[in-house]
Amino acid sequence: MTLPLKDDEDDLLAAEYVLGLLADEDWRAAHARAAVDGRFAARVRDWEVRLEGMNDAYPDLPAPDLMPQIEARLFPERAPAPRQSGIWRWLGAGSLVGALALGLVVLSPVLRAPPVPVLTAELVTEDRALILAASFDGARLSLRAEGPAAGVGQDYELWVIGAEGVPASLGLLRDGELVTEATLEAGQILAISLEPAGGSTTGLPTGPVLATAELRAS
Amino acid sequence: MTDEISTLLIRLARQDRAALQILYPMVAPKLMGLLTRMLGDRAEAEDALQEVVIRLWQRAASYDPQKGTGMGWICAIARNHALDRLRARPASRGHREVSRTDDARDMLDTIADPAMGAEDQTMLRARMQAVVACFDQLPEDRARAVKGAYLMGLSYQDLAAQFDVPLNTMRTWLRRALITLRECLDQ
Repeated sequence: MTLPLKDDEDDLLAAEYVLGLLADEDWRAAHARAAVDGRFAARVRDWEVRLEGMNDAYPDLPAPDLMPQIEARLFPERAPAPRQSGIWRWLGAGSLVGALALGLVVLSPVLRAPPVPVLTAELVTEDRALILAASFDGARLSLRAEGPAAGVGQDYELWVIGAEGVPASLGLLRDGELVTEATLEAGQILAISLEPAGGSTTGLPTGPVLATAELRAS
Repeated sequence: MTDEISTLLIRLARQDRAALQILYPMVAPKLMGLLTRMLGDRAEAEDALQEVVIRLWQRAASYDPQKGTGMGWICAIARNHALDRLRARPASRGHREVSRTDDARDMLDTIADPAMGAEDQTMLRARMQAVVACFDQLPEDRARAVKGAYLMGLSYQDLAAQFDVPLNTMRTWLRRALITLRECLDQ
Protein backbone atom coordinates (compact mmCIF):
# COMPACT_ATOMS: atom_id res chain seq x y z
CA MET A 1 0.00 0.00 0.00
CA THR A 2 1.43 3.38 -0.99
CA LEU A 3 0.05 6.28 0.96
CA PRO A 4 0.83 9.96 0.46
CA LEU A 5 3.76 10.93 2.66
CA LYS A 6 1.73 12.86 5.27
CA ASP A 7 -0.84 10.05 5.54
CA ASP A 8 1.89 7.44 5.82
CA GLU A 9 3.57 9.45 8.56
CA ASP A 10 0.26 9.62 10.45
CA ASP A 11 -0.37 5.93 9.95
CA LEU A 12 3.06 4.95 11.29
CA LEU A 13 2.56 7.31 14.22
CA ALA A 14 -0.73 5.52 14.94
CA ALA A 15 1.13 2.17 14.85
CA GLU A 16 3.87 3.47 17.17
CA TYR A 17 1.20 4.74 19.53
CA VAL A 18 -0.71 1.44 19.54
CA LEU A 19 2.46 -0.61 20.08
CA GLY A 20 3.67 1.72 22.79
CA LEU A 21 6.97 2.58 21.13
CA LEU A 22 6.71 6.30 21.75
CA ALA A 23 8.48 7.94 24.67
CA ASP A 24 6.42 9.57 27.41
CA GLU A 25 5.74 13.01 25.88
CA ASP A 26 5.26 11.71 22.34
CA TRP A 27 2.96 8.95 23.57
CA ARG A 28 0.90 11.45 25.53
CA ALA A 29 0.65 13.82 22.55
CA ALA A 30 -0.62 10.94 20.36
CA HIS A 31 -3.02 9.93 23.15
CA ALA A 32 -4.47 13.45 23.23
CA ARG A 33 -4.68 13.54 19.44
CA ALA A 34 -6.56 10.23 19.27
CA ALA A 35 -9.16 11.74 21.59
CA VAL A 36 -9.95 14.67 19.30
CA ASP A 37 -8.87 13.71 15.76
CA GLY A 38 -11.37 11.24 14.29
CA ARG A 39 -9.17 10.29 11.32
CA PHE A 40 -6.21 9.58 13.55
CA ALA A 41 -8.44 7.64 15.95
CA ALA A 42 -9.63 5.51 13.00
CA ARG A 43 -6.00 4.73 12.06
CA VAL A 44 -5.32 3.76 15.67
CA ARG A 45 -8.34 1.44 15.62
CA ASP A 46 -7.15 -0.12 12.33
CA TRP A 47 -3.80 -0.97 13.91
CA GLU A 48 -5.47 -2.37 17.01
CA VAL A 49 -7.53 -4.67 14.79
CA ARG A 50 -4.51 -5.66 12.64
CA LEU A 51 -2.57 -6.73 15.71
CA GLU A 52 -5.36 -8.23 17.81
CA GLY A 53 -4.22 -11.77 16.99
CA MET A 54 -1.25 -11.12 19.28
CA ASN A 55 -3.51 -10.83 22.32
CA ASP A 56 -3.58 -14.58 22.44
CA ALA A 57 -0.02 -14.48 23.73
CA TYR A 58 -1.25 -12.99 27.01
CA PRO A 59 -1.88 -15.77 29.52
CA ASP A 60 -5.07 -16.10 31.55
CA LEU A 61 -4.42 -15.41 35.24
CA PRO A 62 -6.78 -15.82 38.19
CA ALA A 63 -8.56 -12.52 38.70
CA PRO A 64 -10.14 -11.33 41.94
CA ASP A 65 -13.85 -10.50 41.92
CA LEU A 66 -13.72 -6.73 41.74
CA MET A 67 -17.36 -6.31 40.69
CA PRO A 68 -18.48 -4.94 44.09
CA GLN A 69 -15.90 -2.11 43.89
CA ILE A 70 -16.60 -1.50 40.21
CA GLU A 71 -20.36 -1.31 40.73
CA ALA A 72 -19.94 0.95 43.74
CA ARG A 73 -17.96 3.35 41.56
CA LEU A 74 -20.20 3.15 38.50
CA PHE A 75 -23.53 3.21 40.26
CA PRO A 76 -23.18 5.18 43.49
CA GLU A 77 -26.34 5.10 45.57
CA ARG A 78 -28.26 8.24 44.82
CA ALA A 79 -29.25 10.46 47.71
CA PRO A 80 -32.93 9.69 48.35
CA ALA A 81 -35.17 12.12 46.46
CA PRO A 82 -37.14 14.53 48.67
CA ARG A 83 -40.33 12.70 49.47
CA GLN A 84 -43.69 14.20 48.77
CA SER A 85 -45.57 11.87 51.05
CA GLY A 86 -45.22 14.30 53.96
CA ILE A 87 -47.50 16.86 52.47
CA TRP A 88 -50.11 14.26 51.54
CA ARG A 89 -50.04 12.82 55.03
CA TRP A 90 -50.53 16.29 56.39
CA LEU A 91 -53.36 16.90 53.92
CA GLY A 92 -54.99 13.66 54.90
CA ALA A 93 -55.09 14.93 58.48
CA GLY A 94 -56.67 18.26 57.47
CA SER A 95 -60.28 19.06 56.64
CA LEU A 96 -61.57 18.34 53.15
CA VAL A 97 -62.12 22.03 52.52
CA GLY A 98 -58.64 22.88 53.70
CA ALA A 99 -57.23 20.15 51.54
CA LEU A 100 -59.01 21.40 48.45
CA ALA A 101 -57.99 24.98 49.10
CA LEU A 102 -54.39 24.01 49.62
CA GLY A 103 -54.56 21.71 46.59
CA LEU A 104 -55.54 24.63 44.42
CA VAL A 105 -52.76 26.77 45.81
CA VAL A 106 -50.22 23.98 45.31
CA LEU A 107 -51.37 22.90 41.88
CA SER A 108 -52.19 26.19 40.19
CA PRO A 109 -48.58 27.27 39.57
CA VAL A 110 -47.93 23.85 38.08
CA LEU A 111 -50.87 24.26 35.72
CA ARG A 112 -49.55 27.60 34.55
CA ALA A 113 -45.93 26.46 34.26
CA PRO A 114 -44.46 25.57 30.82
CA PRO A 115 -44.57 21.87 29.96
CA VAL A 116 -42.17 19.95 32.18
CA PRO A 117 -39.43 17.96 30.41
CA VAL A 118 -40.51 14.36 30.37
CA LEU A 119 -37.06 12.82 29.96
CA THR A 120 -33.63 14.18 30.74
CA ALA A 121 -30.04 13.06 30.49
CA GLU A 122 -26.74 14.60 31.43
CA LEU A 123 -23.72 13.65 29.35
CA VAL A 124 -20.40 14.31 31.06
CA THR A 125 -17.00 13.62 29.52
CA GLU A 126 -14.51 11.65 31.54
CA ASP A 127 -12.45 14.75 32.37
CA ARG A 128 -15.68 16.68 33.09
CA ALA A 129 -14.56 19.39 30.65
CA LEU A 130 -17.73 19.05 28.59
CA ILE A 131 -21.20 18.70 30.07
CA LEU A 132 -24.32 18.36 27.93
CA ALA A 133 -27.79 18.65 29.38
CA ALA A 134 -30.54 17.05 27.28
CA SER A 135 -34.27 17.25 27.78
CA PHE A 136 -37.04 15.68 25.74
CA ASP A 137 -40.60 16.99 26.10
CA GLY A 138 -42.31 14.18 24.21
CA ALA A 139 -41.75 15.68 20.76
CA ARG A 140 -38.66 17.82 20.83
CA LEU A 141 -35.17 17.14 22.13
CA SER A 142 -33.12 20.11 23.33
CA LEU A 143 -29.48 19.82 24.16
CA ARG A 144 -27.24 22.49 25.59
CA ALA A 145 -23.47 22.10 25.99
CA GLU A 146 -21.17 23.69 28.51
CA GLY A 147 -17.51 23.40 27.72
CA PRO A 148 -15.08 23.81 24.84
CA ALA A 149 -16.40 23.90 21.26
CA ALA A 150 -15.26 21.16 18.87
CA GLY A 151 -11.92 21.98 17.23
CA VAL A 152 -11.48 23.51 13.78
CA GLY A 153 -12.77 21.10 11.14
CA GLN A 154 -14.72 19.11 13.74
CA ASP A 155 -18.26 18.82 15.03
CA TYR A 156 -19.92 17.23 18.03
CA GLU A 157 -22.57 14.75 16.87
CA LEU A 158 -25.39 13.45 19.05
CA TRP A 159 -26.56 9.84 18.76
CA VAL A 160 -29.34 7.76 20.21
CA ILE A 161 -28.60 4.09 20.69
CA GLY A 162 -31.63 1.99 19.85
CA ALA A 163 -32.75 -1.25 21.44
CA GLU A 164 -30.62 -3.27 19.01
CA GLY A 165 -27.54 -1.29 19.98
CA VAL A 166 -27.22 0.57 16.70
CA PRO A 167 -26.58 4.30 17.04
CA ALA A 168 -28.72 6.70 14.99
CA SER A 169 -27.66 10.31 14.51
CA LEU A 170 -29.80 13.04 16.06
CA GLY A 171 -27.74 15.82 14.50
CA LEU A 172 -24.80 18.13 15.04
CA LEU A 173 -24.37 20.71 17.76
CA ARG A 174 -24.34 24.30 16.57
CA ASP A 175 -23.05 26.98 18.93
CA GLY A 176 -23.27 24.49 21.77
CA GLU A 177 -26.92 23.70 21.10
CA LEU A 178 -29.08 21.18 19.34
CA VAL A 179 -32.87 21.22 19.07
CA THR A 180 -34.55 18.55 17.03
CA GLU A 181 -37.84 16.72 16.62
CA ALA A 182 -37.38 13.15 17.79
CA THR A 183 -39.13 10.05 19.04
CA LEU A 184 -37.38 8.95 22.19
CA GLU A 185 -38.21 6.87 25.21
CA ALA A 186 -36.89 6.36 28.71
CA GLY A 187 -33.98 3.94 28.91
CA GLN A 188 -32.50 4.88 25.54
CA ILE A 189 -28.89 6.01 25.57
CA LEU A 190 -27.67 9.30 24.20
CA ALA A 191 -24.05 9.50 23.09
CA ILE A 192 -21.92 12.39 21.91
CA SER A 193 -19.03 11.82 19.53
CA LEU A 194 -16.40 14.02 17.94
CA GLU A 195 -16.64 13.87 14.15
CA PRO A 196 -15.07 15.58 11.16
CA ALA A 197 -16.89 18.83 10.27
CA GLY A 198 -20.32 18.04 8.84
CA GLY A 199 -20.63 14.87 10.87
CA SER A 200 -20.00 11.19 10.31
CA THR A 201 -20.46 10.09 6.70
CA THR A 202 -20.82 6.41 7.59
CA GLY A 203 -24.05 6.65 9.58
CA LEU A 204 -22.17 5.46 12.68
CA PRO A 205 -19.87 7.33 15.06
CA THR A 206 -16.38 7.39 13.51
CA GLY A 207 -14.68 9.61 16.06
CA PRO A 208 -14.23 8.98 19.76
CA VAL A 209 -17.43 8.75 21.82
CA LEU A 210 -16.91 11.37 24.49
CA ALA A 211 -19.84 10.66 26.80
CA THR A 212 -23.00 8.63 27.10
CA ALA A 213 -26.04 8.86 29.37
CA GLU A 214 -29.40 7.21 29.78
CA LEU A 215 -32.63 9.13 29.21
CA ARG A 216 -34.61 9.05 32.44
CA ALA A 217 -37.93 10.42 33.58
CA SER A 218 -37.13 13.57 35.52
CA MET B 1 -19.51 -10.31 13.44
CA THR B 2 -21.46 -11.00 16.60
CA ASP B 3 -19.60 -13.23 19.03
CA GLU B 4 -20.84 -13.50 22.59
CA ILE B 5 -18.56 -10.78 23.92
CA SER B 6 -19.61 -8.37 21.15
CA THR B 7 -23.23 -9.01 22.05
CA LEU B 8 -22.48 -8.20 25.69
CA LEU B 9 -20.67 -5.00 24.67
CA ILE B 10 -23.75 -3.91 22.72
CA ARG B 11 -25.81 -4.49 25.87
CA LEU B 12 -23.26 -2.51 27.89
CA ALA B 13 -23.72 0.40 25.49
CA ARG B 14 -27.39 0.36 26.52
CA GLN B 15 -26.25 0.53 30.14
CA ASP B 16 -27.43 -2.99 30.89
CA ARG B 17 -25.93 -3.76 34.31
CA ALA B 18 -26.74 -7.46 34.10
CA ALA B 19 -24.55 -7.70 30.98
CA LEU B 20 -21.61 -6.30 32.94
CA GLN B 21 -22.09 -9.03 35.56
CA ILE B 22 -21.91 -11.67 32.83
CA LEU B 23 -19.00 -10.05 31.00
CA TYR B 24 -16.70 -9.60 33.99
CA PRO B 25 -15.89 -13.27 34.73
CA MET B 26 -15.52 -13.91 30.98
CA VAL B 27 -12.84 -11.26 30.42
CA ALA B 28 -11.19 -10.72 33.82
CA PRO B 29 -8.63 -13.61 33.61
CA LYS B 30 -7.38 -12.48 30.18
CA LEU B 31 -7.22 -8.86 31.32
CA MET B 32 -5.41 -9.88 34.49
CA GLY B 33 -2.83 -11.73 32.33
CA LEU B 34 -2.44 -8.78 29.97
CA LEU B 35 -2.15 -6.16 32.70
CA THR B 36 0.23 -8.21 34.84
CA ARG B 37 2.43 -8.85 31.81
CA MET B 38 2.53 -5.19 30.82
CA LEU B 39 2.76 -3.64 34.27
CA GLY B 40 4.92 -6.35 35.81
CA ASP B 41 3.16 -5.96 39.15
CA ARG B 42 0.12 -7.91 40.27
CA ALA B 43 -1.18 -5.34 42.75
CA GLU B 44 -1.04 -2.59 40.13
CA ALA B 45 -2.66 -4.96 37.62
CA GLU B 46 -5.63 -5.44 39.97
CA ASP B 47 -5.96 -1.71 40.35
CA ALA B 48 -5.76 -1.28 36.58
CA LEU B 49 -8.32 -4.06 36.02
CA GLN B 50 -10.90 -2.03 37.90
CA GLU B 51 -10.14 1.07 35.81
CA VAL B 52 -10.33 -0.91 32.57
CA VAL B 53 -13.75 -2.41 33.38
CA ILE B 54 -15.03 1.08 34.20
CA ARG B 55 -13.77 2.28 30.80
CA LEU B 56 -15.49 -0.66 29.08
CA TRP B 57 -18.77 0.47 30.60
CA GLN B 58 -18.21 4.11 29.67
CA ARG B 59 -17.00 3.49 26.13
CA ALA B 60 -19.00 0.46 25.03
CA ALA B 61 -21.07 2.66 22.69
CA SER B 62 -17.97 3.32 20.59
CA TYR B 63 -17.37 -0.39 19.91
CA ASP B 64 -18.17 -1.18 16.29
CA PRO B 65 -18.95 -4.91 15.91
CA GLN B 66 -18.06 -4.65 12.21
CA LYS B 67 -14.47 -3.89 13.19
CA GLY B 68 -12.59 -6.51 15.14
CA THR B 69 -13.72 -8.93 17.82
CA GLY B 70 -15.25 -7.82 21.10
CA MET B 71 -12.34 -9.34 23.01
CA GLY B 72 -9.89 -7.51 20.72
CA TRP B 73 -11.56 -4.19 21.49
CA ILE B 74 -11.47 -4.97 25.22
CA CYS B 75 -7.75 -5.86 25.06
CA ALA B 76 -7.07 -2.64 23.13
CA ILE B 77 -8.68 -0.59 25.92
CA ALA B 78 -6.65 -2.52 28.51
CA ARG B 79 -3.36 -2.14 26.62
CA ASN B 80 -3.99 1.56 26.17
CA HIS B 81 -4.63 1.97 29.89
CA ALA B 82 -1.50 -0.04 30.76
CA LEU B 83 0.60 2.11 28.41
CA ASP B 84 -0.89 5.20 30.00
CA ARG B 85 0.37 3.94 33.37
CA LEU B 86 3.78 2.89 32.01
CA ARG B 87 4.34 6.23 30.29
CA ALA B 88 3.46 8.05 33.50
CA ARG B 89 6.09 6.14 35.50
CA PRO B 90 9.26 7.95 36.47
CA ALA B 91 12.23 6.94 34.30
CA SER B 92 14.06 5.84 37.47
CA ARG B 93 12.15 2.55 37.36
CA GLY B 94 14.55 1.68 34.55
CA HIS B 95 14.31 -0.14 31.26
CA ARG B 96 12.54 -3.42 31.03
CA GLU B 97 13.61 -6.15 28.65
CA VAL B 98 12.07 -8.52 26.18
CA SER B 99 12.36 -11.87 27.84
CA ARG B 100 14.30 -14.35 25.74
CA THR B 101 12.88 -17.45 27.36
CA ASP B 102 9.19 -17.09 26.56
CA ASP B 103 9.41 -16.05 22.96
CA ALA B 104 6.14 -14.59 21.74
CA ARG B 105 6.15 -16.96 18.78
CA ASP B 106 5.70 -19.90 21.13
CA MET B 107 2.96 -18.13 22.97
CA LEU B 108 1.17 -17.38 19.72
CA ASP B 109 1.15 -21.12 19.12
CA THR B 110 -0.67 -21.83 22.36
CA ILE B 111 -4.25 -22.94 22.21
CA ALA B 112 -6.96 -20.31 22.32
CA ASP B 113 -9.12 -20.03 25.41
CA PRO B 114 -11.58 -22.95 25.32
CA ALA B 115 -14.16 -20.81 27.14
CA MET B 116 -14.42 -18.57 24.07
CA GLY B 117 -17.22 -19.08 21.56
CA ALA B 118 -16.32 -21.28 18.59
CA GLU B 119 -16.95 -18.54 16.04
CA ASP B 120 -14.89 -16.03 17.95
CA GLN B 121 -12.13 -18.60 18.38
CA THR B 122 -11.98 -19.43 14.68
CA MET B 123 -11.79 -15.77 13.79
CA LEU B 124 -9.12 -15.06 16.37
CA ARG B 125 -7.14 -18.10 15.33
CA ALA B 126 -7.20 -16.96 11.70
CA ARG B 127 -6.03 -13.51 12.73
CA MET B 128 -3.38 -15.04 14.99
CA GLN B 129 -2.07 -17.22 12.21
CA ALA B 130 -1.94 -14.19 9.91
CA VAL B 131 0.08 -12.31 12.52
CA VAL B 132 2.49 -15.26 12.97
CA ALA B 133 2.92 -15.62 9.19
CA CYS B 134 3.56 -11.90 8.78
CA PHE B 135 6.07 -11.81 11.63
CA ASP B 136 7.95 -14.56 9.82
CA GLN B 137 8.66 -12.06 7.03
CA LEU B 138 10.62 -9.88 9.43
CA PRO B 139 14.25 -10.33 10.48
CA GLU B 140 14.19 -12.29 13.75
CA ASP B 141 15.47 -9.49 15.99
CA ARG B 142 12.96 -6.98 14.58
CA ALA B 143 10.09 -9.39 15.03
CA ARG B 144 11.20 -9.84 18.63
CA ALA B 145 11.37 -6.07 19.15
CA VAL B 146 7.84 -5.49 17.78
CA LYS B 147 6.47 -8.29 19.96
CA GLY B 148 8.24 -6.85 22.97
CA ALA B 149 6.62 -3.50 22.31
CA TYR B 150 3.16 -4.99 21.84
CA LEU B 151 3.19 -7.51 24.66
CA MET B 152 5.15 -5.57 27.27
CA GLY B 153 4.76 -1.95 26.21
CA LEU B 154 8.48 -1.47 25.59
CA SER B 155 9.40 1.88 24.04
CA TYR B 156 11.98 2.68 21.34
CA GLN B 157 14.30 3.68 24.18
CA ASP B 158 13.86 0.39 26.05
CA LEU B 159 14.44 -1.58 22.85
CA ALA B 160 17.46 0.48 21.71
CA ALA B 161 19.09 -0.12 25.10
CA GLN B 162 18.37 -3.81 25.01
CA PHE B 163 19.45 -4.43 21.41
CA ASP B 164 22.37 -2.07 21.92
CA VAL B 165 21.72 0.09 18.86
CA PRO B 166 21.25 3.88 18.62
CA LEU B 167 17.67 5.09 19.16
CA ASN B 168 17.35 6.29 15.56
CA THR B 169 18.50 2.94 14.20
CA MET B 170 15.84 1.16 16.25
CA ARG B 171 13.26 3.65 15.02
CA THR B 172 14.23 3.09 11.36
CA TRP B 173 14.22 -0.70 11.79
CA LEU B 174 10.82 -0.78 13.38
CA ARG B 175 9.18 1.70 11.03
CA ARG B 176 10.28 -0.51 8.12
CA ALA B 177 9.01 -3.55 10.02
CA LEU B 178 5.65 -1.84 10.59
CA ILE B 179 5.27 -1.05 6.87
CA THR B 180 6.02 -4.71 6.05
CA LEU B 181 3.51 -5.85 8.66
CA ARG B 182 0.83 -3.48 7.40
CA GLU B 183 1.21 -4.70 3.82
CA CYS B 184 1.15 -8.32 4.93
CA LEU B 185 -1.76 -8.05 7.38
CA ASP B 186 -3.94 -5.99 5.02
CA GLN B 187 -3.84 -8.69 2.34
